[in-house]
Parts: sequence; structure tokens; C-alpha cells
Amino acid sequence: MRGFPKLLVLIVFWTVGINAQNRQLLYDFQEVPQSLMLNPGMKVSQNWHAGIPVFSGLYFQAYTSGVTVNDLFANDGVDFTTKVRERAIQAMGRKDDFGSTSQIEGFNVGFRGRNRPDDYYSFGMYGEFDIISYWPKDLAELAYEGNGGDNIGRAFDLGDLKLRGDMVNVFHFGINRKVDRELTIGARVKLYSSIFQFQSLGNSGSFRTVQGLDNIYRTILEADMVLQTSGIQEFYETADDETSGSRREDLVDLFTKRVLLGGNLGLGLDAGFTYQLNPQTSITGSILDLGFIYNSGDVWNYSFRGRTSTEGISVFLPEDIDQVDNDLWRKLIDEIEEAMPYGENSSSYLSFRPLKAYGSIRYDYGEPKGGLFDCDCDIRPGRRPMREYYRNSLGGQLFLMKRPRGIQAALTAFYQKRLGRVLSLRGSYTIDKYSWTNLGLGLNLQAGPINLYVLGDNLLGYSNIADSHYASLHFGINILSWNGN
Amino acid sequence: MKSFFLRLWVPTLLLCCTSCMEEQDFGQVDDLNINPRAASGILYFESDEDTINATGASNGDVFYSKLTNFEAFNKDFMEDRLLEGEIIYELTNTTSKALTLEIEFLDEGGNRIYGEFFEIGAHPSGTLTREVVYGPGGLPLSMLTNTSDLRLVGSNLGDSSSVSAEPDPKVVVKVAGEFLVQLQ
Repeated sequence: MRGFPKLLVLIVFWTVGINAQNRQLLYDFQEVPQSLMLNPGMKVSQNWHAGIPVFSGLYFQAYTSGVTVNDLFANDGVDFTTKVRERAIQAMGRKDDFGSTSQIEGFNVGFRGRNRPDDYYSFGMYGEFDIISYWPKDLAELAYEGNGGDNIGRAFDLGDLKLRGDMVNVFHFGINRKVDRELTIGARVKLYSSIFQFQSLGNSGSFRTVQGLDNIYRTILEADMVLQTSGIQEFYETADDETSGSRREDLVDLFTKRVLLGGNLGLGLDAGFTYQLNPQTSITGSILDLGFIYNSGDVWNYSFRGRTSTEGISVFLPEDIDQVDNDLWRKLIDEIEEAMPYGENSSSYLSFRPLKAYGSIRYDYGEPKGGLFDCDCDIRPGRRPMREYYRNSLGGQLFLMKRPRGIQAALTAFYQKRLGRVLSLRGSYTIDKYSWTNLGLGLNLQAGPINLYVLGDNLLGYSNIADSHYASLHFGINILSWNGN
Repeated sequence: MKSFFLRLWVPTLLLCCTSCMEEQDFGQVDDLNINPRAASGILYFESDEDTINATGASNGDVFYSKLTNFEAFNKDFMEDRLLEGEIIYELTNTTSKALTLEIEFLDEGGNRIYGEFFEIGAHPSGTLTREVVYGPGGLPLSMLTNTSDLRLVGSNLGDSSSVSAEPDPKVVVKVAGEFLVQLQ
């Protein structure tokens, strides 16, 4: 128990954090097949694509809206307790968050319909780990300062505890259709196979110590708190089973079962469009992960609900004159525990995927050397190249995401430069709650049928990555085919 | 434009590939001290004058003596973590008689560790306040951490028949504390 706060600090700053949310560099990067995952209605040029299994999409992104790793762990000679107090406890607010997400694509394949060449089908599987926790400001201050001293009279908000995390494997199938010269639409259905999930979101209540009605202090606790978990208990029991001689294998088997639809399941939907306002200007939009997981297996929920107040052991005469036992303290504790029952149940629950939306406007200019540009060419397999890109693109993007404390937004401006068919470079500037100096660069290299892309965010932060509020890296390898390839 | 973009991109890519990090010392977490100050009411005692008279106690006789268990400090969690503490006592007496009250701290075997003794005159005697510090500069913390029971003993120094003219005459003992606890 004594090591718990230390463990908490390590977890919090270790998970600062990999967040697979806003992927502004990849969005509408039409040369990269994985951008279909961000907008199923994107313009698609290739005839087919196949990601190199496991290596087609590896994505890590890190952020913190509050204190950085460097703020606390820099070897600067400042007392660590002072740094925690001044840079975290006193500096961070309840809207500051920590998160961690990573995504690994198992496989990703796409192909154009033989009978319907305007349709591009894609399917695949990827695993995603995601955790977010808001800074529990009042709880941290209660733990750090206590309820005494200057905090007499202060109500500590138990609703500051908000966290959510899950690991899912996602099977998906999408259809992209070029409706006409102007409009392309697409949709993707997703089947979520949950490996584990936990959430504690709708908490409320307070803890406060005030001047007592009878005694000097009166402590009041009101709480309505729930932690829902699914898929965790069985992992824990398997790992903790000392009678088993094959714990590691058992864990792998359990993990594999959950990955392959053997756990809790859910459904989701992505949808998007691209609309060509004129030959050089287009707008896009998409909505992602409109879905849920129904958690019914291996569910363990923990609740803490009730209201109580105490001023300590109380003796009133003459009412208590016949009180002969000496268990007043024990009775007081029992009364508090009875008023604030700690409960457990295994009731099923729904967990919702973090809903995301993108929108963008894009202006293309600079005719390609061959003189071909957006020609609405025949996209049937075996015919001439479907589309030649303009040499430059300029645009802006808006990203919105539903988080436990409301909608989170990011605004991006980008410029893209194409050097023939081989190389495409993209630069971006993004402003959001994590950084106002987020410059990103992306590269897409097309060497024959081999497609390689690398996207990096907030590059200024790389001068001291530990002091960065935000960083991401995304790369992958695909095999692409245009007509004739 | 192309050369400009390449000139921008290539150095940035190199910067990205050669990103660095100032020296970090994650072992500092061992130096973290979390010492919150916890405040709580401990004991409230109230007796009206009629009850004192009804016991027949007078001239120093005990009118109330009760023991209660009190294990707030001697459980494992607090025993090793209590750094310092302050117990605040507030007594008021609106009865017509002088009283003595003592709060005794007893160990697990029922042995007296020590006691806080109060003598308060008949009304009007105001509010008697005492703050007792434990830990550095005060009484030994072991007096608290070894405490397993509290005993409140009240004695009547006056007679057992007079009644104060005050409305609802009574003696009130309030006990609360603030404690510095080493959480980490």
C-alpha cells in the first residue's frame, strides 16, 4: 500500500502517452492506402493494395496537456517533491489529461471491383490499445495536502476521477464508391473483439470537513462512484494461478481467444465523403468509430455509493447513560461502512468507442509534368492510369473527438508537394490543447509497387522528447498496384 | 519551391532521426514525500446538569466513567505513518458546579499511558481550550500510536442538587485532531 502513490506516479507519467487520435498528417493523404481508415470516402487511385502484415501500419502518438516527463524527471537538482507540488499538483487542472494509444495493423487489403470499377473494397484487422485519464485534481490535492489546515471547509470533488481504457482487435470491411465526377462516398463496418475494457466515468460526490454541529469538525462524504471492468479478472486469475505450470501459455491462449472474437463483441461504423467543388478544390468529411462494445463476459464492477457524516465518537447524557459496552469506535466505523457500502457486481454494460470526426478543404495546383491531372479517367482495371495528381496541395483540416469531458478539437493547415509519382511530402501545422507549435512532416515513397510512408508530428519537440507535450510517429509499408503494375 | 521544400524537409527528417532527450532520472520517484494533513472530530461528550445531579456524585465523586475502544492510531497503516499531530480540546460548562474531566489514553492491555486533565469552574467559566502537540517539540507520538482505548472520567466538585439558572445547563467536551501522515 505504501508503494501505491509511487506506482501511480510512474503509471501516470509512463503513459504520457501514446494517443492514436488526431492523425492530421495521414488524413486525406491520398497516396497512402491507410488514409482510407480515416475517411472511407476518400478518393482512391490505386487498383489494389496489400499491406505488409504487421508492418503496414504502426502508429504511436504521445501527448500531455499538463506536466511533461522532463518537468518532473529532469536531472536538474530540484527536489522531486517540490517539482510534483509546483508543476503538477498546483499547475494542472481537471481538464488536463493523460492518454496512451497504440495501433498495430494486422493486415490491410483493398481492391477495385471487377464488375464495378467505381467501387473500391478494403478490409483488414488491427489491434488498438487506448487509455485516457483526466488529472484527478481534487483527489490529488486531497492526497497531497489532506483535508486539514487551509482545506477545512473545502469540498473535494470525487467526480474528478474519470478514466477509460481498452484493448480491442478490430475486423473491418469498407466500400468506397465514386458516385460521379464530383462525389466519392464510403463506409466501413467494424467488428470489435474486446480483449479488456475498463471505465470509471460518471462519478460524483464530495469529501469535505467543516465546522461541526456539535464537535469541532464534521466530516461529510457523499459518493456515487463506479468502476466497470470486463476481461481483466480472467487475465488476473490466470497470471496469479500458482497451481498452473503453464501460466504464460495460458495467458497467450486467453489473449489469442479474445483477439479472435472469443471475448466481448461490438459493432461500429465509419463513413465519409469527398466532394469536388471544382477541378482543383475539394472538401471532405468523415465520422469514425460510431460504435459500441457490449461487455457481458468476465465483467466485474465495483461501486462506492452513499452518504455519511461523522463528528467522531459521540456520547450524549442522559440518552447514552446505559451505554455500557466499549465498542463506540467500532460502531462508528461500522456505521460509516454501512452508509458507504462497497459493492461488487457482474452486470453487463455498454462501452462506447471514442467518436471522431474529420473535415477538410483542399486546393490543388500545379499541373503534373505529363499534363494529366484530375481527368475522371476510366478506372477499369487494365485501362490507362486513373488519375494524375496535381503537384501541390494546400488545405485545412478540422478534427473533433468526443472525450469524457467534452469535445476536443484540433485545427490543421497543410501543404503537400509531389515530386513525380515517386515521392510525396506533406508538412502540417496543428493547433490544439496540447501544443501551439506542432509542426509535422510526412513522406510517402512509391518505389514501383512498394509504398513506404513515414509521418512524424510535433518535430520541434524532438529536440528534447521528454519535454514535449505531443509527439507521434506513424509508418508502414504496402504493395500498391495501379493499372499496368 | 521544390528545392525550398526539400531543404526544409531533409534537415527536419534528420532532426527527427537524431532526436535527443535531456538526462532523466526516474529514480527520483523514490524521493517523493506525500504528507497530507488529516483533520477529524474524535470525541464529543455532553451531559446535562440533571444527569449529573441524578448520579448523586458530589464533592469530587465521579459522575461518569466509561471506556471506549479507539484504534485510529494503532492500526498498521497509521502506526508507521504518523509524523506529528495536534489534539484540540474545547470544554464549556454552564452548570452550577465546578467539574473535573480527564481523558485517559490506555494501551491494549488496559494500562494508562497518560491523561489530559481539565478542571473547569461553575458557570460562567467560559470555554476552556487546550491544544496538545505530539511529535517533534511535543509529546511522544507513541502515546497516540500505543493507544487502544479512551476513558472519559467526569467528577463533580460541587453538590448534587443545585441547578444553574442558565437555559439547558450542561457540560460539553469537544475533542478533534489534525495529524500529519506520511502517505508516501
